[in-house]
Amino acid sequence: MLTFLTANAQQGRKKVMTTVAPDTIPLFRGIAVSTDLVGPAQLAFGSYGQYQAAMRVNLKDKWFPIIELGIGKANAEDVTTKLTYKSTAPYGRIGMDWNLSKNKHDIYRVYGGFRYAYTSFKYDVNSPGIVDPIWGDKTDFNAKDVSCTYHWLEAVFTIDAKIFGPVRMGWSMRYKRRLFHTHGDIGEAWYVPGYGKSGNSRLGGEFNITFEL
Amino acid sequence: MKKNGGWDLKLSLYILITLFVVAGCSSIDCPLNNRVYAKYKLAGSIKSLADSLTLSANLGDGNDSVIINKSVNTDSFQLPMSYQRNEDVYFMEIKNSTDSQFDTIKVTKTNSPHFEAVDCNPAIFHVVTGVKYTKNRIDTIVINNPNVTYDATKSTFLIHFKNSSSN
Repeated sequence: MLTFLTANAQQGRKKVMTTVAPDTIPLFRGIAVSTDLVGPAQLAFGSYGQYQAAMRVNLKDKWFPIIELGIGKANAEDVTTKLTYKSTAPYGRIGMDWNLSKNKHDIYRVYGGFRYAYTSFKYDVNSPGIVDPIWGDKTDFNAKDVSCTYHWLEAVFTIDAKIFGPVRMGWSMRYKRRLFHTHGDIGEAWYVPGYGKSGNSRLGGEFNITFEL
Repeated sequence: MKKNGGWDLKLSLYILITLFVVAGCSSIDCPLNNRVYAKYKLAGSIKSLADSLTLSANLGDGNDSVIINKSVNTDSFQLPMSYQRNEDVYFMEIKNSTDSQFDTIKVTKTNSPHFEAVDCNPAIFHVVTGVKYTKNRIDTIVINNPNVTYDATKSTFLIHFKNSSSN
């Protein structure tokens, strides 16, 4: 009886042999260009933002080397402090995305990746002057062309999908971590092109429209 | 919504939108301590002044502005610095039940504007270059940390007083 049951169990566990077809897809799958819509929206409704374009290469639908270039702008004014802050400068990012989807060739994709980014920029701070509360003197508080540099890394999580034809749309979430920076004597920059408000780390996001060429 | 290799895209979208909302919350990152004061800490044999201490700033136009009024049991005090003058003059009065003693402190410094953010009030930082004083009740004043910034944890000066009976 025991021998019979064991034999039946072994038959039930018999492996189903399947042959996996080799991925014959070519290494180079095309180039895509994209632009971000969040940055222009920030500029339209807020005091800072950026225009950005990116180009990425599709390798086997798995690896996506990418370069992102943009121009960041800030034109902020605070009614309480009466300070204005202006800066306009280009920035660049280079990195790679990996397609994390199980089916690499699906129209939906989930990516994980990283970017190294750099910008060199100048900012202006202006105010009508500040009054010493004790001595009563009025003091100028202005700075022009304060030079700064910023290097940072970004961890990227993206989802996108093919909408129609060559057009794809999707969200990208960024965790930014500052590596090195320099600033002028007056203090650190308030807004960093491509990074956002300055600080050790920052969260950001993009909504990208992509055209596959 | 379509499942994609184990990833639920609808769920991913909700997570992203939540993160964007959290990240999009505006915040003011001004320092909690936004006063720029020079800190004087009592050192030496007298670490707390039992007599009443009054300090005023010389405004340079014949008027004074009282900054500390009749402080007792003082172990340290903080004085503001002018935004753009190279020398600040302070008058000190130490009073007990029998008499008053007066000293003058002159602090020379450099001034530099400090920008933190558009929504933070502008500040002027200083670097102390020298200190002169009369020696009626003051024994010595030592520059401990010449940088006068938002950081109030480090004493700018260490001030040594004489005993009131030693005059």
